[in-house]
Amino acid sequence: MRKAFVVSSGVLLAAFALQFVFAAVGAFTKPAGGDHSYRLHSITGTAVIPLLTLLTILFAALAKAPGKLIGLTAVPLALVVLQALLAGIATGLTDASGQTTTAGLIVGGLHAVNGIVAVHVVVAVMRGARKLPDRAPVLVEQA
Amino acid sequence: MSTASVLVIDLLIAVLAAAGWLAGGAAAATGHRRAALGLGLAALVATLARAVTVVALARAGWWFAAEKVVIAGPLSLAAIVVAVARRTPAALLFAGYATTAGLLVTVLHGYPVTPGVALLAVAGVAVATGITRRSRPTLVVAALALVAATGFAIRPAPTVHHHSYSAAEVGTPTKRFTLTAATTTVEVDGHDVAAWAFNGQVPGPALVATVGDVLEVTLRNQDIGQGVTLHWHGYDVPNAMDGVPGVTQAAVLPGQEFVYRFRADRPGTYWYHTHEASDEGVRMGLYGTLVVHPAPVTGLDVTVPVHTLSGRPLPTFSQASAVAGTPVRLRLINTDNTTHRYALAETAFLVAAIDGRDLQGPTPLSRTAVLVPAGGRYDLTFTAPAGPVGLFVDGRPVWATGHVAAPPSGWPALDPLIYGTPAPAPWSGYDKSFTLVLDRGLDLHGLLPRYAHTVNGAADPDIPPEIVHLGDRVKFTIVNRSAVVHPWHLHGHHVLVLSRNGKPSTGSPLWLDSFDVRPGDVWEVTFLADNPGMWANHCHNLSHAAAGMMLHLMYE
Repeated sequence: MRKAFVVSSGVLLAAFALQFVFAAVGAFTKPAGGDHSYRLHSITGTAVIPLLTLLTILFAALAKAPGKLIGLTAVPLALVVLQALLAGIATGLTDASGQTTTAGLIVGGLHAVNGIVAVHVVVAVMRGARKLPDRAPVLVEQA
Repeated sequence: MSTASVLVIDLLIAVLAAAGWLAGGAAAATGHRRAALGLGLAALVATLARAVTVVALARAGWWFAAEKVVIAGPLSLAAIVVAVARRTPAALLFAGYATTAGLLVTVLHGYPVTPGVALLAVAGVAVATGITRRSRPTLVVAALALVAATGFAIRPAPTVHHHSYSAAEVGTPTKRFTLTAATTTVEVDGHDVAAWAFNGQVPGPALVATVGDVLEVTLRNQDIGQGVTLHWHGYDVPNAMDGVPGVTQAAVLPGQEFVYRFRADRPGTYWYHTHEASDEGVRMGLYGTLVVHPAPVTGLDVTVPVHTLSGRPLPTFSQASAVAGTPVRLRLINTDNTTHRYALAETAFLVAAIDGRDLQGPTPLSRTAVLVPAGGRYDLTFTAPAGPVGLFVDGRPVWATGHVAAPPSGWPALDPLIYGTPAPAPWSGYDKSFTLVLDRGLDLHGLLPRYAHTVNGAADPDIPPEIVHLGDRVKFTIVNRSAVVHPWHLHGHHVLVLSRNGKPSTGSPLWLDSFDVRPGDVWEVTFLADNPGMWANHCHNLSHAAAGMMLHLMYE
């Protein structure tokens, strides 16, 4: 199970890396077609990454990882939810004729910052998963 | 404060509350007691503060608050009770899971509240708590809730009956047009742009008729792989001529043709566009204008269809000359997916008609912008003054009679609900009432889950049709829970606006076919079911329609 945990956290990291690529695909697609150009980005963000995160949490729990590490594994899930909210609010904050507003662009910028934070968390999760001892289950402290 | 703002603030507070509980739990688990206490208290305040925003939303309409009261409410209560009473890391984390679950319900499937969604939320909280506490019994509870939720989630697909409505006899055509759809390249402002066009031009040929004409339009498809149709936007034709593929006709595939025939008996400004793959098709250029004159034209009559083709705005600027005293009518058409702001500078003007229907008692306007919804049309009339006048769209000049400086963007926008003189309602009782609650939500239809644009919690093709009988006076309420504008468009009928956000329409009767339902808005409109058939009823931001926001009105 430790191996599965390591592999799924690695795949999750790869998905996050691809997600940045897909964001660039959206930004450079001409003509800018709104929802259309970010199709890959939104599928990865709303389906692939949440599913991989859930899977990683499951493997972390089955691998009997310490509570702190399982908690850390769950952090990307929270950040992904926040990420979708930021994207939604940034798109929603437009003026009457559908033009972007400064407030919308600031929230949109936070979308990028949050993405970078999430990647760092996933890297930490993968490192933690690698350091887990092969067999001996770690007893979990309940404070 | 507007309902839209309260929706956003409530969402932000909910995020803060959930993040606070989770971070507090993590701090406590890692031995940072003071940080845990601070975060926990902040989360407690945020959770309690939601009572204020949720009450405000409930007062604006139950649709905005339902799941926040029925699902997030008890979950938040449990969060507070457990966190305050036990104050252990696990208790703080439980509070985090519970508030997060409530938040996810709002974001993923907020309306309507169903037992399935409530049980899924409980199951999610139980799974997370079970893993946190390594507690088998909690995981068993989670499994049971999950099974029950799945049971509730299975629902039969709506059945849609297909009648065919034969085209009525309209007489011998007096005007004949042929529109051939093909891929091509058009020039915009000196740039070559790939387009799909009718007769090689974007927009397609301007179709002009006079009341009494019988139109015959032959549609041919040369090489548009997805197929094409013609929908007469705002022109309430008999059902068989409405051009909705899979509903009123089959899409016209490459090499095929279809003949549309209808009477031009309604003067006004309309437009036509493909309804097959309409999001892409209209964006790529498969649209044109349809104007029906009440009598031979006197004065200057200009049609201004605004469109964005590959990021380039159409039409390009054109200059006309108008001798002082000439009557001028500008027919503004918005063929894009989002609202455009039009400003007519250096003259007073009247909004003579909206969506092809004359307004009653319009009064002169000046230094006032008009916001035309996606798909909507406004007719502005004025008598040409001695000096030049200019029409601007989102600050860009599109038409002028000389050099005119761009007007400031700060002009107030006309609210058509208080413009013109009122008239008694044509009817007051209603035979049928429908409510459409617009939102976003997770839709599991098809292979890939999608974050769809939903109506009453479902996305096309899973939205049950609205059923009416011929002669019904139908009242129909549209509520926007989402964060984006939804320009609503019912085919085959014009609707009379009754009220917006509880305030009755006090201006001229407004018979519309395209109107912007903004975030937090509640519109009440009515129409007479006088045009039998099967009619599309959808958001005219066509990318939203393609992402699920499309249903049908059916006569029985």
